[in-house]
Amino acid sequence: MMWQAFAAEFRREWITLRRYPTEFFGELVVVVVIFYGLFLGSSYMSGGGIFGARLSSVILGYTLWTLSLAAIGNMGYSISNEAQNGTLEQVFLSPVGAVRILVLRNVAALTFSMLFTVLVIYGIMGLTGHFLPLSPIDLVPLVMAVGTAMGIGFLIASITILFKRTNQLLGLLQFVLLFIIMTPFTTFHGPLQYLGIIAPLSPMVGLLQSMLVDHQALLTAPGDWFWWGFVNVALWLGLGIAVFSRAYERAKTRGTLGHY
Amino acid sequence: MPLLEVQGLAKRYKAKDGTTVHAVKTVSFTLDSGQILAFLGPNGAGKTTSIKMIAGLVRPDDGDALIAGQSVRRRGRAALTHLGAVLEGSRNLYWRMTPLENCEYWGGIRGMKRKSSRQRGLELLDLCGLADKAHHTVQQLSRGMQQQVAICCALLHRPALLLLDEPTLGLDLEASDRIQALVRDLALHDQVGIVLTTHQMEVAQTLSHRVAIIRKGEVILENGTEQALAAFSGNTYGVDLTEAPSTDLRDRLEQRGATFDSPVSFRVVLESASDVYPLLDSLRPIGVLRVQRETADLATVFRHYVELDEPSKSLTGGGAE
Repeated sequence: MMWQAFAAEFRREWITLRRYPTEFFGELVVVVVIFYGLFLGSSYMSGGGIFGARLSSVILGYTLWTLSLAAIGNMGYSISNEAQNGTLEQVFLSPVGAVRILVLRNVAALTFSMLFTVLVIYGIMGLTGHFLPLSPIDLVPLVMAVGTAMGIGFLIASITILFKRTNQLLGLLQFVLLFIIMTPFTTFHGPLQYLGIIAPLSPMVGLLQSMLVDHQALLTAPGDWFWWGFVNVALWLGLGIAVFSRAYERAKTRGTLGHY
Repeated sequence: MPLLEVQGLAKRYKAKDGTTVHAVKTVSFTLDSGQILAFLGPNGAGKTTSIKMIAGLVRPDDGDALIAGQSVRRRGRAALTHLGAVLEGSRNLYWRMTPLENCEYWGGIRGMKRKSSRQRGLELLDLCGLADKAHHTVQQLSRGMQQQVAICCALLHRPALLLLDEPTLGLDLEASDRIQALVRDLALHDQVGIVLTTHQMEVAQTLSHRVAIIRKGEVILENGTEQALAAFSGNTYGVDLTEAPSTDLRDRLEQRGATFDSPVSFRVVLESASDVYPLLDSLRPIGVLRVQRETADLATVFRHYVELDEPSKSLTGGGAE
């Protein structure tokens, strides 16, 4: 049942993308311009010396930020949009269950976002002739970050399912997330060092830095950030799902599940 | 075991001023496979809240609904596998997708393989005469067609129970007729049990086998539709004549209690159906176009119950007074 539901969500995502080419090309232009800017702008500002590991770090850092934002935003947007369009209650009539549907929906949307981003990055690398030392293993921290971001997404979805309008909150969250990604929590010492484990996405950011800048291996990078990353994902995803399940039940008790 | 057993559903809300509002006080009824139950009530009586409690979208404070023996409260997901619903005020569909793509999607999230939901979707669209619209986006279709597609999507997984909240609201006559034909067909041939809410009494009367009337959150009548109508149909007969009777004959008829609606038609109360023969004899040689026992319609029954002021007059399961 789960696979059929995932395939259905994946197809829906693809149909929407393909049917409205202006939206698709609009998104494409934005992504190409941003990555092209990152490639050329960083190179120009640093006098051409940034290509290589540093640029990979900038690119992957940006990708991590956009993917996390997408993972978080999708949840809230999906619920408020569907409530507004009058399809939310039908979705929740699925025997697959609300939490699973939202996870599947998010995974389907993020698969497209990730494929899209990777294709654009490789396209630009081909165009500029500058090839970054990217390897598939670099995607691991990204995928883990998406897990944590989905947890935060569930927290946003919890607010959305009860209050329906969270656009302002999502706007604010972009900057909070940027702050979290830019702050080197994993380098903190003393009692603050635990922030490196608890702060959302922090172990994954630290891990990405170790891998791309310091050329450490995924599993043996200092600080065990790979393993702490799992703790971070479990913590935020678990918290997100638990809070969302409560909010979902509360919305059913208040009778406001499909309201907008 | 009935297909649907609604047992004492109740729902209370806290109003903004802190008072408790009883949206649904107590709703109980049963429905068997192949039956259509018209769930009627004035605006704000608690119909939609009850329907949503049966669908598991609103959590009841008391009571439960059992669909094919599965409790909606305790085994919600198992119960949902037997349920399809088209809810009022919702689009129920993705407007940017075609009817067939919607079928594939809604079938998919109910655990159907793409091939089967596509096949079943085509079959249902064909049944509704919408096969040629299968590849148009839903937003290009008329409201009636959208409503039919929504019903098709709710039927993909062959649910035993279908909840239809105001399925013909705002539709033109042709679209309404098509939906009524579809609903009748589903109950008759596929043995789907259907709970139908509507404000259109003629639709309810035409389609339903059973009727439940809710007023101020309480079911005040639950009965077979025919029994409910029969209980309100007295021994009044309407007679249409080919020509106006003489003054003498008219006087004699009026002495027997006849009331003339026009020079050629009158109504009269007879003690039994066999009294029709002496009446016809007395009319000779005037031709008789029609003699018919007047039956109450569902609108009359509905008005009677919803206009009751005293809760003590409530009659559940009993028919008429």
